[in-house]
Amino acid sequence: MKDQIVHFATHHPKRIMWLTLLMTLLAAAMIPRINIDTDPENMLPADQQDRVIHDRIKEQFNLYDLIVVGMVNDTDPEGIYNTRTLSNLKTLSDRIEKLDGVIAHELMSLASVDNITQEGPGTIRFQWMMPDDPKAQLQPEEIRQAVSRLPMFNNTLVSDDGKAAAIYVPIEKKDLSHQISQEIQAIIDQLPPGDDYHITGLPVAEDTFGVEMFIQMAISAPLAALAIFILMWIFFRSFALITAPMLVAMATVITTMGLLIGMGFTVHIMSSMIPIFLMPIAVVDSVHILSEFAELHKPGARVRDTIEEVIRNLFRPMLFTSITSAVGFASLAFTPIPPVQVFGLFVAFGIVLAFLLTIIFVPAYIASLSDARIQKLAEQHHSSSGFKLGGILGGFKSLAAGSAKLVIAAALGLAVFSYYGIQRIEINDNPVRWFKEDHRIRVADRVLNDHFAGTYNAYMVLRKDSSGLQQQYIDQLRQLSRQSPAVKSLVDPIVDREQNFPAMLSAIIQQADNALFDAEGEAVDALEQLMALTEDIQARSKYFATPEALQYIENLQQHLAQQGLVGKSNSFVDLVKTVYRELRGGEPAHYRVPETSNQVAQTVLSYQSSHRPYDLWHFITPDYQNTAVWLQLSSGDNKDMSAVLQQVDDYLQDHPLPDGFSMQWGGLTYINVVWQEAMVQGMLKSLLGAFIMVFIAMVVLFRSLVYGVLAMIPLSLTIALIYGLIGWVGKDYDMPVAVLSSLTLGLSVDFAIHFLDRARSIYQETGHWGRTLQLMFDEPGIAILRNAIVIAIGFLPLLAAPLVPYNTVGIFLASIMATSCIVTLILLPAIMTALQRWLFPHRQGAQS
Amino acid sequence: MKPLPLLITAFRGLTFLLLAGLALQGKAQELDVNTIVTRANHVAFYQGEDGRAETRMKIVDGNGREQLRQFTILRKNVEDNGDQMFYVFFQRPSDVRRTAFLVKKHLDQDDDRWLYLPSLDLVKRISAGDKRTSFVGSDFYYEDVSGRGLQEDRHELVATTDTHYKVKNTPLNPDAVEFEYYLVWINKDTFMPEKTEYYDAQGKMYRSIESLQVEDIDGFPTTTRMKVSDHRTAGYTLSEMRFIKYNIGLPDEVFSERSLRTPPQQWLERPSR
Repeated sequence: MKDQIVHFATHHPKRIMWLTLLMTLLAAAMIPRINIDTDPENMLPADQQDRVIHDRIKEQFNLYDLIVVGMVNDTDPEGIYNTRTLSNLKTLSDRIEKLDGVIAHELMSLASVDNITQEGPGTIRFQWMMPDDPKAQLQPEEIRQAVSRLPMFNNTLVSDDGKAAAIYVPIEKKDLSHQISQEIQAIIDQLPPGDDYHITGLPVAEDTFGVEMFIQMAISAPLAALAIFILMWIFFRSFALITAPMLVAMATVITTMGLLIGMGFTVHIMSSMIPIFLMPIAVVDSVHILSEFAELHKPGARVRDTIEEVIRNLFRPMLFTSITSAVGFASLAFTPIPPVQVFGLFVAFGIVLAFLLTIIFVPAYIASLSDARIQKLAEQHHSSSGFKLGGILGGFKSLAAGSAKLVIAAALGLAVFSYYGIQRIEINDNPVRWFKEDHRIRVADRVLNDHFAGTYNAYMVLRKDSSGLQQQYIDQLRQLSRQSPAVKSLVDPIVDREQNFPAMLSAIIQQADNALFDAEGEAVDALEQLMALTEDIQARSKYFATPEALQYIENLQQHLAQQGLVGKSNSFVDLVKTVYRELRGGEPAHYRVPETSNQVAQTVLSYQSSHRPYDLWHFITPDYQNTAVWLQLSSGDNKDMSAVLQQVDDYLQDHPLPDGFSMQWGGLTYINVVWQEAMVQGMLKSLLGAFIMVFIAMVVLFRSLVYGVLAMIPLSLTIALIYGLIGWVGKDYDMPVAVLSSLTLGLSVDFAIHFLDRARSIYQETGHWGRTLQLMFDEPGIAILRNAIVIAIGFLPLLAAPLVPYNTVGIFLASIMATSCIVTLILLPAIMTALQRWLFPHRQGAQS
Repeated sequence: MKPLPLLITAFRGLTFLLLAGLALQGKAQELDVNTIVTRANHVAFYQGEDGRAETRMKIVDGNGREQLRQFTILRKNVEDNGDQMFYVFFQRPSDVRRTAFLVKKHLDQDDDRWLYLPSLDLVKRISAGDKRTSFVGSDFYYEDVSGRGLQEDRHELVATTDTHYKVKNTPLNPDAVEFEYYLVWINKDTFMPEKTEYYDAQGKMYRSIESLQVEDIDGFPTTTRMKVSDHRTAGYTLSEMRFIKYNIGLPDEVFSERSLRTPPQQWLERPSR
């Protein structure tokens, strides 16, 4: 059948080309509907448990995405505590509040918060830290004193060293962050000079990443295409001929991306790299065809006949390599990360498409070229045959044939080296590090985390399950209802209606209060009993107003502070302790948890008489059944967040939470750890799965267990070597590195398949291993080496991209190509030489 | 046609318009804006010699979560449309029961404010400073409870409808407040300020106070249900005033620091129906 297809293609080249053009244009029409998604939260499915909890925590505690603006003054001896810097801070903060999309009342800066002070004996004062009214304004030194007394602000709004101040800008929607940060920059540009400014925060990083990713798609991929084009020209010296692989690559990339976008998938950081992944894969097969064609086409022969022969020779290895590469990527569908799944499946689709185009479009294209042109090509090619690759290949051959045992021993040595390297791999990621070291976002990140307790947030939420208390209350209500019809008629409809326990208690208290006014006789006693019971239960349900609970949280916070990784933690406890101290007269000795729940409640009531009573609800829910501890980390590295999780786990082990209490985590720094863990495990599974599937495919396709095993050797050693090197070099195993394992698997098996399949068919013709080896290092060897060079060098432009994942891909492709090419061309023939008696048993081939 | 009759006609028309205008102006002059706001201020804060009310505040946040505050408020005028005294005694929630506030409002100087926290057995003076802070975590400000001095704003009558005067109030010291200006709709018959809207520098209305229900109590029109909405947080506070009584003869001692620790039980009890 394949012959018929190719035959049709070579005889109807125009039709094939029009069809390809039509398909590509249709897909290209979808591309303007592109929808970029750079939200790391989307690394997890929307219904993933940790993400659901994270979202609930955000809603429960009114937490928003924040842009962080940092001001640094290193020159003034007083740091930011000088009149000019403070006035700049106030101007900036006030003007940011007026920007569209900023949630003004939640903005946090020195200029937007209250100062709590003692004003004479027995007098407490809530006043803006930096009021508009000039008469009420504090001196810089007074502000410094005030901040140092307020633990919630110290090292959050102003750094410990007094050299930096921060403005936390909550925004309505993440996708506004780029625009808002530009408007902030415009305000900064108008301020009197003398201070340094930095704008950062996850939403800014994400948005910037989205913008640069888009640029990279428009620059890196075409640049790689150009580099490949130039290299192919060096090898083949014919624009007409090398246009074929470029057209295949373009048609594949455009159709795949168009389909992805047309099907409504968002373009995530992963899927933005699809063009870059597909380009080499789409080009590889065509390079084999061109090599073979240039080699086989003799002057005078008919082009159609030659190309049909070429396809006959290459069909099997090309089919095998396409299947294995597609399997490698499709296996990414087993990872629990939606963007990675989409990436894997669409790359797999692209590979299959590229294969079809290669066996249909390329022959049609070549057949459409005039005989005269081809003639010239063939003459040119044969006069410069082999370029300078022949010498290299000769070296490979003599190494493989002459020192087979040494080569095998060296390979074993490398395997051991890799094994120890892999042991050293550190699994770690940090989306901010996807930017290069000198990127302004990295700079801002470094400077701000240098000064402050940390710009990376995680939330530790403690909850108390109140269902037991609720059941107890409802039982008691039944009892009271049996004794009093007044209670029953009051309570029943509320219990039926209100599922929410705090709302139920509140409703019953209000109704009982109303009813008591009109009640007479017995009903009064019953209603008073009901009131007393309900108020008692309500007080007991406010778990996180109890001194014991607060003490527990305080101890946990102290423990974390001692461990070092958490720069600072802020909680309801800190807030209560501060206000309590000020109520008690401001002495440091009174900075402590109050003695009773009522004291806590009355302390809170005092705090609520400030300008920003709603800040309370960032730390505790109004029912006092959930409380959040905000952890500030100066590192967004997943390994550091994981270590903090471990610290908390250890603490919980030694100091178990009281009965009914539970802990949950939220915050982007935590979410990053979750998807990383899911991905590492998922990738391992998918890699193992793909490895086994490829192995089975090899055994089936070669119809030989031995050849199956042989085919797996280069790819196994390549993967081992590359990951071993990562371990030795100390590069973190991050998201791009994890995903590239499937590319390694898919690409590094290619050369082995070509080598083995061709070696076997040449051996069948010659019946002599030495002769086979000789022939193998002619055309097939040159094709492999050319491919390796084209792709390895073709992707070096990626190293210039400002985004680290793109650099990683560039380095990886070069290493995969170099390693698998060398392993295939040296180790495989060496093994085959060593095992020739066993591999080629029918005819006793003597070595030359 | 000669030009003269046309001119005469035009002149007549103009005269008519002028006269009509004068007549309208005359009526407005009868009630200039200062009179309107003074009467409105009286109706909202000074009716009777003294009074009491039980208030239940339902504070609802942007997520629909509720908090409840229940307290009794006693008021006595020192001088009509002048200084006043307030005593606020909390009943609910039970963990703040017996917390009390005492406010002595002065027109010519800062108010005196005290807070008593029973479980800490602590009387605290609260520095007057800024009265536009939250009243016990609700969307009401202290100033909404005790009233804002008329002399602090410039008042303009911006519209008169069949039922309401619409007055624009611009602060004389804009640095001391968070709003740019506020609009008040005052009922023409009762002079009850029925709606107030606060605008920020961008001209956006971010906060409003509505009187939802007005009843006649002891001959005084009295707001018995009020809603303050904070459009920034999407939260609101619903305030219900019940068991209201005017001219109950509150003695001055009720408004002493002593009452903070020892509540004046007699005056806190609900009046019989």
